Amino acid sequence: MLSLLWETVRIAFQGILDNKSRAFLTMLGIVIGVLAVTLMGTLISGLDRSFERSMAFLGKDVLFISKYEWFSDRDWWEMANRPEMRAEYAEQLKAYSDVVVAATPIMSRGVDVKRNDNSVLGVRLRGTTPEYLQTSFMNVGHGRFFTEGENHSGSRVAVIGHDIAEGLFPNENPLGKKFRIEGIPFRVIGTIDKQGKFLGLFSMDNQIIIPFGSFTRLFARRGFMEIDVKVAGNVAEARDEVRGVMRRIRGLRPLEEDNFAINQQEAFESQYRSIKLAIGGTGVFITVLSLVVGGIGIMNIMFVSVKERTREIGVRKAIGATQPLILGQFLLEAVFICLLAGLIGLGLAYGGSRLIDKFVFPSTMPLWLGALSVFLSVGVGILSGIAPSFTAARQNPIEALRYE
Amino acid sequence: MPALISLREVKKIYQVGAEAVYALNGIDVEIRAGEYISVMGPSGSGKSTLMNIIGCLDTPTEGTYEFGGEAVHEMDDNQLASIRNRKIGFVFQTFNLLPKLTALRNVELPLIYANVPRSERLERARTALEQVGLGDRISHKPNELSGGQRQRVAIARALVTHPSIILADEPTGNLDSKSGVEIMRILDDLHRQGNTIILVSHEADIAAHAQRTIHLLDGKIEREVVHPVRA
Ligand SMILES: Nc1ncnc2c1ncn2[C@@H]1O[C@H](COP(=O)(O)OP(=O)(O)OP(=O)(O)O)[C@@H](O)[C@H]1O
Ligand SMILES: [Mg+2]
Repeated sequence: MLSLLWETVRIAFQGILDNKSRAFLTMLGIVIGVLAVTLMGTLISGLDRSFERSMAFLGKDVLFISKYEWFSDRDWWEMANRPEMRAEYAEQLKAYSDVVVAATPIMSRGVDVKRNDNSVLGVRLRGTTPEYLQTSFMNVGHGRFFTEGENHSGSRVAVIGHDIAEGLFPNENPLGKKFRIEGIPFRVIGTIDKQGKFLGLFSMDNQIIIPFGSFTRLFARRGFMEIDVKVAGNVAEARDEVRGVMRRIRGLRPLEEDNFAINQQEAFESQYRSIKLAIGGTGVFITVLSLVVGGIGIMNIMFVSVKERTREIGVRKAIGATQPLILGQFLLEAVFICLLAGLIGLGLAYGGSRLIDKFVFPSTMPLWLGALSVFLSVGVGILSGIAPSFTAARQNPIEALRYE
Repeated sequence: MPALISLREVKKIYQVGAEAVYALNGIDVEIRAGEYISVMGPSGSGKSTLMNIIGCLDTPTEGTYEFGGEAVHEMDDNQLASIRNRKIGFVFQTFNLLPKLTALRNVELPLIYANVPRSERLERARTALEQVGLGDRISHKPNELSGGQRQRVAIARALVTHPSIILADEPTGNLDSKSGVEIMRILDDLHRQGNTIILVSHEADIAAHAQRTIHLLDGKIEREVVHPVRA
């Protein structure tokens, strides 16, 4: 029986080789289908990975309070016209609420920095308090962060990001050295370990952190301010409580709308989920479409093939091929075409995923998707081959032998 | 000795529109193992229809057909395929070889369906091709062979399973007379070696190679002629 199976495989394979160009043309749909599903999977795996790494910058238990909501359909102007955040809110939040573990105001602006002949342009300058250490997830690898005392006195000390250290102090230890922010001298007291980019877009290593007091004194009294709040316990409940406190601080009456926004990592996550759904949906749509089109194409080709080989079917039946054997021969042929197409698609997808990995972001093709696409190809082969194969198997041998 | 083949009151009726065509209209035939039979008759008299029924490619509309004691008229499709494979060798007027396969592969084919192991298959196919004088052409494809050679490959394919009977429907019909003579010599040899052969022919001198000729007319046996020289 095994020999018979093997021969059936051989006969089916011969059938494909005899019609190479036609077989390859019909494979296209399946190739595209497999390519779409696997590349989509690769893309999502890469997105997942970089998203997770970026979310580590934010922290699940940190609330970011400012005028602007991160993702909202609210009119931008409406949010811009809200009252500014004030530094006192940080202390008030801590005083009025038990769930607030740490709270710190952050002001920021873009600046250029210089040291001797070296300069770095477009640096993000942040003014904040030592509590920033608790609300953020950076690591001061060398030196130290500034103290409450330095903050109050408005000391000209700075903790600098990795890129700044490299840019201003190539081949030397920046600790204790002076440099200028917009012409004003500051002293480096600490460096932040390399962090990478947020969502692959914004470098987190291109920042300088100085005491809040120094920032307001030297760079801006007013400007965009954010209060970062670290909370304890259930984040959703804590968020409700923080919102209540903020409304009290702002003196809002019960029916008045919030005139501030409380953002959290969750906002990114839900946004990301919908992006992922869109990519996945598109991939699945393209895949299903091309598999259906490809399957219909293969069914047609198989019908043509059965018609062309009517005589061959007659001969095989005359010398003793049973219906199941003829059925198996044509079904295997259809499955082979699809399987081959699936493997070609998989090969291309693997190449594509390597390119994405190299040039777009770190990603890998999920193994289960590879297995699934092979499985899908075989399924399409069976579905599209079944009707033509039955037609072949059911041929009347006498009529088949007489066929011209 | 009981008959190898026994047809009783066999009718084959085709319904063409409202009209019933009696391709065979009451045939009684007995053929013993080792016999050499020819079938003659005008075009449309039912020769091919009879051969198809004897060859188990088709079943009678009415009547009974027993082959080696088995009731063929009661068999289903797969049983018919099996009996064709084991007991019957066909030689067609138009050769009916598979064009993409070599002579050896063509001859091997029935053994694949008989589930014979590969090495034995190739050995037997080679022997069969040698038997018809094509031992030096085994890797040629049909389009690389002459008509007479193709028909010899077809004969090798018919004998490779050691069938109980070889059926040849106008085997020389598509050949020049020289090739035709060669094919008839091979069939005569096969008969001499003990094979049972049924041959359809239009030509009296070809039909005369057999021991007995059945003359058909309008789906009935008109007469039987025994050739004394060969009987
Ligand atoms: N599938 C069919 N449907 C209808 N009629 C058929 C069919 N097959 C054969 N016939 C009819 O049966 C009769 C016998 O046909 P058959 O092919 O047996 O003749 P034959 O003796 O072999 O003729 P020839 O010498 O031309 O080959 C003919 O009248 C033919 O038209
Ligand atoms: Mg005929």
